[in-house]
Amino acid sequence: METGGIRVNNLHKTFGQGENAVHVIQGASFEVKPGELAALIAPSGAGKSTLLMMIGCVLDPSSGEIWLGDTQVYQNRWLEKDTRTLRREKIGFIFQAHYLIPFLNVLDNVRLLPLANQEPLPQVEARARELLGYLGLEEKLHAMPSDLSGGQNQRVAIARALATRPQIILADEPTAALDIERAHSVVQLLRQIAKEQRVAIIMVTHDERLLSYCDKILKIVAGKVDTLPPPETTETFI
Amino acid sequence: MIHLAYQDIRHTLSKFLVTAMGVGMLLGIVLIMIGVYRGMVDDARILLNDIQADLWIVQQDTLGPFAESSRLHQDTQDTLKSLDGIDKAAALTFQNLQLYNRQQQAIRVLAVGYDPAGDFQPVSPERLIQGRALRAQHYEMVVTDKTGFQLGEQIALGRDTYSVVGVTRGTVSSSGDPLIYISLKDAQNVQFSYSNPRIRSDRARGIGGQQTQLVNTVVATLRPGYTPVAVASEIETWKHFTTYTQSEQATILSRNVIERSSKQIGLFTAILVLVSGIIIGLIIYTMTLEKIKEISIMKLIGIPNRLVIKMIVQETLLLGAIAFVFGNFFAHLIYSQFPKRVVLLWNDSLALFSVILAASFLASLVGVYKVMKADPATAIGG
Ligand SMILES: Nc1ncnc2c1ncn2[C@@H]1O[C@H](COP(=O)(O)OP(=O)(O)O)[C@@H](O)[C@H]1O
Ligand SMILES: [Mg+2]
Repeated sequence: METGGIRVNNLHKTFGQGENAVHVIQGASFEVKPGELAALIAPSGAGKSTLLMMIGCVLDPSSGEIWLGDTQVYQNRWLEKDTRTLRREKIGFIFQAHYLIPFLNVLDNVRLLPLANQEPLPQVEARARELLGYLGLEEKLHAMPSDLSGGQNQRVAIARALATRPQIILADEPTAALDIERAHSVVQLLRQIAKEQRVAIIMVTHDERLLSYCDKILKIVAGKVDTLPPPETTETFI
Repeated sequence: MIHLAYQDIRHTLSKFLVTAMGVGMLLGIVLIMIGVYRGMVDDARILLNDIQADLWIVQQDTLGPFAESSRLHQDTQDTLKSLDGIDKAAALTFQNLQLYNRQQQAIRVLAVGYDPAGDFQPVSPERLIQGRALRAQHYEMVVTDKTGFQLGEQIALGRDTYSVVGVTRGTVSSSGDPLIYISLKDAQNVQFSYSNPRIRSDRARGIGGQQTQLVNTVVATLRPGYTPVAVASEIETWKHFTTYTQSEQATILSRNVIERSSKQIGLFTAILVLVSGIIIGLIIYTMTLEKIKEISIMKLIGIPNRLVIKMIVQETLLLGAIAFVFGNFFAHLIYSQFPKRVVLLWNDSLALFSVILAASFLASLVGVYKVMKADPATAIGG
C-alpha cells in the first residue's frame, strides 16, 4: 500500500477577531494522492498561499483536519509538538526563484536541509549531485544563486525541495518569475517528478496555460475548495 | 554540515572586514587608554625607584614632597646622619619650572635638586644615555630626552645660564613632566631666593639676611638590622617631622597623585567598552535584520533554530575577535604618537579580549532574539 499524499477536511482559517475577522478559508476539503500534480487556482487574495501554508504546517489553521500520508497532523490543533520537524521531514517547499539562500552556492543550497536532518554526508552529496544533474545543473554546482538565471534558480529551488525525498511538495507560484517557455518546462518537470518519485505536488499558479499538465485543479471558491478535472486543451479552459 | 557563518561571511567579506576594522579602531583606543593609565602608574614610580631611599623625611603633618609642599631645614640631613640606624641621608628639592628652548617655546619640567657630592645620586646610571651626572656645584644641568635639549646646550634659568652635561631617557615626574637635575645649591637659589626688589624691600624692613637653607625632603637609607618603621617612629618622636617609608611614599603617590586621573581614565575606558559593546550589538542587529528573509526561509523549510542561532553567535564572536586583532594592531601602530607614555601590556589586552568576547556574546543575543521571533509564515509574501 502506498503512503503519502495529502488529505484536508473541513479546514477553516480566520484572520483577526470580531469586527475585523476575515474568514479566508471556510471549510476546505480535498485530497491529493502520491504521484499527482494538482494546481491550486483562485483570484489574488482568495487564500491560496494561506491554504498552502496551513498544509505546509507553517500557518496555524483555525479548525479542521490535515493528514500527511497516513498520519493525521492537525485536529483543531497540531498533533505534533514541533511542526518544523514535520516540515523538514515530509514537505518540500518551492517558492519563486529568489527564495534560495544567497550566501550558499547551488550545491550547498540543496544539501543544507538533508544535512540539517543529519542524513549521512556521502548519501546527501550523491543525492544532491544526482538531482542537480537530473535538472540540468551539473555544470553549476559551485555557482552562487546571483550568478544564475531565473530559470536555473527555479530548478535549484526544485532540487532543494526534493533533496529530503519529501512525500509532499508545495509550490507557491513557482513559475511567476519565468517566461512562458521556462514556465512550461518547470511544470513539465514537476509533473515528471510527481510521477517518477511518487510525490504529491500542489502548485499555485495564475497561468491557465499550465493547467493541462496537472492531474486535478483545486479552485478556491468562497473559502471552499472545488476539485475540477484538468482541461482537455489549453485553449478551452478559462 | 555546511558552515553557515563561514559561508555568509565569505559572501560579504569586505563589508565584514571593514566593520571589524571600525570596531577594531574603537578597541584600539580602549587599549591606548589603558596603556596611558599604565604609563601614568609607571611614570609615577620612576623618581621613587631611582632614588631608592628607605625613609622620606618631610615637613611635619604634610604628605610631601610630591603630593603636598614640604619645607625643611637643610641641616636636618646632618641631624639625621647622627642618628642610630641611619646610614646615608641627603636633602633634595623638587620644583616645577618653565624653561625655554631655542624656539622660545616654554617647556614645563620638574627640577630635582641634589648635592653632586652627597650621599644620594638620583640620576640613575641606567637611564643616562649621554654625558654624565652632575659634578660641579653650580650651573650644570642633566635633562631628559623628552625636553628636546641637547648635550652641551646652554639654558637660561633665573639669573644664570646652565650647560647640559647629561641626557637621560624617559624620566618623568608623577604628573608626567620631564625631569631635569640641577645641584642643590642652584635649586635653592632658584626656589628660595627672592627677586632683587623683594630682597631690597626685606632689607629695608630689617628682616633680610636669613642664612638658613631650605629643602623639600631628606631621604635616608638604613644600616643593616634596622627596620624602616622603627627608625621612622624614632624620628617622629622629635615631633618636628613626618616620616614615610618608601612603600608609604609609593602609596601616597598612587593615592593622591595618580588616583584622580586614573579614575577618570578608568571611567573613560569603561564608557568606551560599553560603547563598543553597544556598537557590536547594533551591528549584529542590522546584520541579522539584513538576513531576516533568509532566516525566515530557513525556518520555513525546516532548518532548526539551533543552526541559525549558531550562525549568528559565531559571526558575532568572529567579529569581536577580528576587531580585537585589528585593535591591537592599530594600538601598536599609533601609541608612540601620544605625548604621554603609553604602556601596552598583553595582560590588559587579554582582559579586554575576554570583556569584548562577553560583550559580543551578549550582543549576539539581540540577533538570536530576532531569529526566535522571525515568523516563517511571513517568509513568503503574496
Ligand atoms: N497575516 C494575515 N493577517 C490578516 N490577513 C491576512 C494575513 N495573511 C493573509 N491575509 C488575508 O487573507 C487573504 C488571503 O491571502 P493570501 O492567502 O495571501 O491570498 P493569495 O495567495 O490567494 O493571493 C487576503 O485577503 C489577505 O489580506
Ligand atoms: Mg499568494
